[in-house]
Amino acid sequence: MHAHPYLRAYMAGITIPTLFLLVVITVFTFVRYGFQVPMPIERVVVFPMAVVPNVWGAWNMLHVWSRSRRSLSLGLHGALLPFFLAPAGFLLAERLGVTFVTPLHAVTGFPVALIIYYLAWKHLVSFLNKLVGIA
Amino acid sequence: MKPGDDERIEKILREAIPPLTGAELQRDLWPLMQRRLEERSFAVSWLDWSLIVASFIWLVAFPEVIPALVYHL
Repeated sequence: MHAHPYLRAYMAGITIPTLFLLVVITVFTFVRYGFQVPMPIERVVVFPMAVVPNVWGAWNMLHVWSRSRRSLSLGLHGALLPFFLAPAGFLLAERLGVTFVTPLHAVTGFPVALIIYYLAWKHLVSFLNKLVGIA
Repeated sequence: MKPGDDERIEKILREAIPPLTGAELQRDLWPLMQRRLEERSFAVSWLDWSLIVASFIWLVAFPEVIPALVYHL
């Protein structure tokens, strides 16, 4: 049960954003085709579909690797992630022509993103880490 | 199967698998199990609740950030 801790950390890390991706795609598809809001959906989903889950998995691997070296709780470790993801998401959105992610929206939504990430990592990722035996 | 094969197989198996010793439980495991069942596995602190409420108020005040927020999650 103690073999491959990084692989298990990666799998535990990607679970929550992958599940939430269903919500994201449903919302964007509903808004795009239900309300006929002009939105390049294939460009919008690149970031939440390809980048976010993999970064969560890698971030959880980093937590497993670093926990013997520093004593940062999993919640705070997760709350650091928006500091990297938010600028990356904004830059990608700008490059891909996703207009609803503006600098003002990114800054205004940042405190909420911190809270959501803190709670998600503290409770959900922590639960999954316990489940796969790496907590 | 030849006559006597059953006895021979039984003898081989008895030789291959040693008899169990010390298989009895050293202590009663039920109280431990009961404690685990009663343990709250998901506890949300007052700080977490206040953060949830603050986020909710923030999103009600600035609903235009919700799509950008969903994009980043």
